Amino acid sequence: MTALSPDLVARRRSAKRRRGELLQLSATLPALLWFLVFTLGPLISLFYFSTVNWRGLIAPRTPAGADNFVRLLNDPIVWLATGNTILQLVVTLPIVVVGAFMIAYYLNLKPRGHRFVRALMFTPVLLSASALAMVFIGVFAPKGMINGFLEILSLEEFARPWLANGDSAMLSIIIVTIWCSMSVSAIMLAARLNSIDASVFEAAEIDGCGHFRRMWSIAWPMCREFVGVVTMLQFLWTLFSSAAVVLLLTKGGPGNATATLSFLVYDFAFNQSKVGYSQAVAVVLFIVGVVGILVIRRAFRQKY
Amino acid sequence: MGNAPMTTTLDAPATALAAASAPRPPARRRRRSGVLARTGPSKYFAHAGVWLYVILLAAPLYYLLISAFKRNTDIFNQPFSPFTPLTLDNFGLAFSQASLGTALLNSAYITIGAEVLTLLLAVPAAFALARSKGAIGRVVERVFALGFLIPGFAALVPTVLLSIAMHLFHTREFLILFLPASAMPLTVILLTQAMRAVPAELEESALLDGAGPIRVLWSVYVPLAIPTLTVVAILNFLSFWNEYFFSLVIIGPEASLRTAQVALPTLSIANAAQYGVLAAGILITLIPAYLVYAVFAEKMENAVLAGALKG
Repeated sequence: MTALSPDLVARRRSAKRRRGELLQLSATLPALLWFLVFTLGPLISLFYFSTVNWRGLIAPRTPAGADNFVRLLNDPIVWLATGNTILQLVVTLPIVVVGAFMIAYYLNLKPRGHRFVRALMFTPVLLSASALAMVFIGVFAPKGMINGFLEILSLEEFARPWLANGDSAMLSIIIVTIWCSMSVSAIMLAARLNSIDASVFEAAEIDGCGHFRRMWSIAWPMCREFVGVVTMLQFLWTLFSSAAVVLLLTKGGPGNATATLSFLVYDFAFNQSKVGYSQAVAVVLFIVGVVGILVIRRAFRQKY
Repeated sequence: MGNAPMTTTLDAPATALAAASAPRPPARRRRRSGVLARTGPSKYFAHAGVWLYVILLAAPLYYLLISAFKRNTDIFNQPFSPFTPLTLDNFGLAFSQASLGTALLNSAYITIGAEVLTLLLAVPAAFALARSKGAIGRVVERVFALGFLIPGFAALVPTVLLSIAMHLFHTREFLILFLPASAMPLTVILLTQAMRAVPAELEESALLDGAGPIRVLWSVYVPLAIPTLTVVAILNFLSFWNEYFFSLVIIGPEASLRTAQVALPTLSIANAAQYGVLAAGILITLIPAYLVYAVFAEKMENAVLAGALKG
């Protein structure tokens, strides 16, 4: 009995402490509730809605089992959109991550005008998706900036209605994606590079390392994990946010030339009255997102 | 979804943020300036490459800016010349054709409402999480951290259904309720980190003076967390002000309710050939975001880095 008592006292004390902690943590309840109701709830119900047959938001829904997913596999538009999404990711990710890293390294050397460059790079951060798309409506218009520029250079034969042309529309979407995301990534990477002790680079310089070697053999491996984070964000952003750019610039057209998976989620649900089917695409998109994050994380794991 | 990925998402930018907010030693800056000048001819490639990028980045913005003040025929005939007759008509037309005035007020209403609600919910939560030392607190923090991995867009349709179920479809009020939830993970996590840094002695002396928990929060924690509060407020302001898809679908096409971001594209539909009016509209919707940038330039950089958490 006497042997037990310290244990008992400790247990009672820890129970009291836990009660105190719960009381204190009740302050997190409103925030937690908000988050669960408006974010986690819709996300979970997504998986249920992907298994129903449902023609519109006010139409009755009937269970469909895995039918939506079987239909996905045989839908040429979905395959086309998958191809476009992969193309967009494969072109965008390396250009943005490598390009942003090189720009960040350059900015970190504080050359003349670096403040101006930095300030300019902030403008894409301020642009909303619709403002971004509207800027590029003018850039790609038949009588817009690019064609006007080609005219000045007397290269009219290259001029075309960029967004209405099946060959150039997807290219235009990719250009917009790169344009608005490279600077954000560069700003983030520049801050990470800035936190590396300058003496590391000085030592390398004394050992005869050129800038190129210093950038790729020292700075890159030291930032490896953060580059992974930037890649991950860029991946998610490209995967999900292309929907707004596609909707506003081309509506998926001409034909279905610029349909991406995230655009289809919107298009199926709100334009084609295939709500259940659109949610099946959303589930695929979500799984692609999670798998992509895991792959990128693995690829950029710190090695030293 | 394991909890492994989110630890990286959390740690790395957080350290970068800390590094960015720490004052840079002036000595290092002096030592590193002119570093590029000391290398061989390859430096010209670096300069040329970056300035080419700068031109590619600036060209659409320059085109936007000058087009907003030009007549339509001048935009077509002299696309890059700033020396054409300037006009302010485009701004008036943008206002009247897209009801931009109403739209800006709607955006302000939603942004401010959502911002206030976010802070009201997040500040007490962060306070409790920062002071908790037990396992339950860590679990709650993990739940919020999970939010970083949730792409809001994927749940667009279920969110619309939720708004219908709450009888708030086609209202601005649903957005005021919904947007804080999307901002909650980032806001709570960043504020918790900031409040953890509050020295225990300050709190103890406040408690000795007889302050209750609410008094401690208001007089000790909130003042010391002001820098981080500013950062999350800027970040939330930007994401609320710029929100497009949920505003589009939930509020719908009703001109008296829609936000500036939803009203803006209607200018392109009405004026396929009038880029000047569209450009003026873009500049108008950009002004609030730009003002925030101009006032908080330094803080803004931290906010972007913090945004790395959310993307």
